[in-house]
Amino acid sequence: MIKACHLYPDLLNLYGDRGNVMAFQKRCQWRNIPVQIINKSLGDPMDFGKYDFVFLGGGSDREQNLITADLLKHRDQFKQAVENGLVVLAICGGYQLLGRYYATGDGRHIPGLDILDLYTRAGGARLVGNTVIEMKQDGAPVKVVGFENHAGQTYLGSVKPLGKVLYGKGNNGRDGLEGARYKNVFCSYLHGPLLPKNARFTDKLIKLSLRRRGIDQDLQPLDDVFEERARITLLGRLGLKVN
Amino acid sequence: MKLRLTSAIIAGRSAAKLSRVCGNDGSSLPGMVARKLYPPALEELAGQVRRGIIVISGTNGKTTTANMITGMLQEAGFKVISNREGANMISGITTSFIMNSVTSGKIDCDYAVIETDEASIPEVLKNLSPKVVVLTNFFRDQLDRYWEMEKVIGVIRDALLGQSQATLVLNADDPLVAQFQDTTGLQSYFFGLAGDENSNKGSTSIREAKFCPFCSSALVYDYYHYGQLGAYSCPGCGFKRPRPQVEAVQSGGAAGDLSSYQLSCQGGTVPRENMEIQTRGLHNLYNALAAFSVGLQLDIDAQTILHSLKKYQPAIGRMERFKYGDKHAYLNLVKNPAGFDQGLRTLYEAQGTKDVFIALNDNFADSRDISWIWDVDFEILGADHQHLRRFMCSGLRGEDMALRLKYAGVPAEKIAVNADMRRAIKTSLSGSGGETYIFSTYTALRPVHKIVKSLVEKGAANDQGMSSVS
Repeated sequence: MIKACHLYPDLLNLYGDRGNVMAFQKRCQWRNIPVQIINKSLGDPMDFGKYDFVFLGGGSDREQNLITADLLKHRDQFKQAVENGLVVLAICGGYQLLGRYYATGDGRHIPGLDILDLYTRAGGARLVGNTVIEMKQDGAPVKVVGFENHAGQTYLGSVKPLGKVLYGKGNNGRDGLEGARYKNVFCSYLHGPLLPKNARFTDKLIKLSLRRRGIDQDLQPLDDVFEERARITLLGRLGLKVN
Repeated sequence: MKLRLTSAIIAGRSAAKLSRVCGNDGSSLPGMVARKLYPPALEELAGQVRRGIIVISGTNGKTTTANMITGMLQEAGFKVISNREGANMISGITTSFIMNSVTSGKIDCDYAVIETDEASIPEVLKNLSPKVVVLTNFFRDQLDRYWEMEKVIGVIRDALLGQSQATLVLNADDPLVAQFQDTTGLQSYFFGLAGDENSNKGSTSIREAKFCPFCSSALVYDYYHYGQLGAYSCPGCGFKRPRPQVEAVQSGGAAGDLSSYQLSCQGGTVPRENMEIQTRGLHNLYNALAAFSVGLQLDIDAQTILHSLKKYQPAIGRMERFKYGDKHAYLNLVKNPAGFDQGLRTLYEAQGTKDVFIALNDNFADSRDISWIWDVDFEILGADHQHLRRFMCSGLRGEDMALRLKYAGVPAEKIAVNADMRRAIKTSLSGSGGETYIFSTYTALRPVHKIVKSLVEKGAANDQGMSSVS
């Protein structure tokens, strides 16, 4: 049984990001892999050591501040679970939150959870639009599609990027990088939502989650015609080759 | 001064002609040109409206509410000008006034009924100084443009602070709207829908307005109808749903094309009335309640208002009904999760078998980010799809729509994508279902509407041919 924890689904619910949890859950169920979705919100007890997969989305400023305060209470056990291989997908505001701090326009530093070595600065113009990045998966390059929409510009310290930008702006519009990767933590600015259209990436997260459960096996292939058509149509429209 | 207004009007009208010759609908260019030549053009034209201007804003229901109000004022014998749907930013509104003026710069009308985009409110209010401002509701919409609703609400509040002449007509059931009474201090009049045994209980699936706008405590909802529209109260500061002056107390009575509701009115001359409208869905009831409230504010006789509401025909794509052969088809514009959820609910609650067509575009006016379809509750269809024959997906992002339906639990063999919109719509209309539900995002609406109309007319012609043979 994979235990998947959806953090603050009632508050961090912008831009259809719940679709990531739906995709993770459905692709487990279609393969008869038992999966339990655990919803956690403000004030709930949390036990990161027991979860295999954690999803953290983005919210508006008010929600973001509320949950930062709440999640800081669980920071140490969250960090420890990450060091021990917890699989995490963090999108947009959730991504920023895992970093060291968010520097506002007037120079204040809002502390983050400091689980990943990265920071975010308030930018000028919002970075908005369709985005394509190239990720390495099992050694091969894979194009991942989504939609970015962020004012913060993120800079990576010692962590690796999730991929390089082929179309769009990415972390900060400057260094051509998108997202962050540390151990089994994957961060990205991509909405869309990210997982449904990028099924190979979803399956990778499922595989890693199973491995954390002590199960190391290849996943049964699924019929991904719909997923691939949605991904390929967008690539074609943006003038990019499929592979 | 008048000379400059005159030349601005002439220039604007020439621009309109030119724009039409070039194949555009000419709704914003004339206003833009006139304002460039003479910035006070709109203010001077609007200043001539004899009895007052009514401004309607909010996320959903603007067009329907504005059309209902216009119909009601015309029924009462007034001369009214209004802006067309899609011309609801400052240039489009200016165009509407120019096209209703004579070249000398004179406008002859009693009322102007103007719907406006939320982001355009500051400029619109400054120029129009309205007598009544209606706020329908606030839902998430077009996040790539208006990324945070709270910011939009703040901008509207600031704009209203300078409008002491205005009366607000507010949705009591939406805390994001009702708060405007206190944040602006303006005289406010509320409409709402009472709860009944069918109302949803609990507040876990409420997406917007989870927190008190005044003290940030978590709001408690006794019930809600859809979205966050319901009976809320704040345990922190006491902010709660105000008692509406106009309240629908009983819903659900439907006979033929008419839906009827019991109205209860506080303190007025009309304590209890039966309101009938020809459109389906609670969202349209809210629109009618808003229009009714505006009518009472403007001292229109209640029977006149009710009579005009009963006659009201839905605008293009507002659960607009067509007849294809012997079955009905409904065309519904979808712009955001709250509106789409309402459309799906109407489909879900209707009896019989259905075919579904969805056109999803991602142009600027649709929201370039199509992530929002993942916030729509398609799961209610996936869980109960036996009555649903086929889903045809089309539009620029038809493939994304199909994918969303697959993850909502609709069997893949019931989902098809066809970029050829005409064929896709035809397939849906001639499917084996007893009714066809057609959903379209904003920029696909006109083409979809045109196709549906032509197919429906063709169907009618064929029917006549058949009957003359037999």
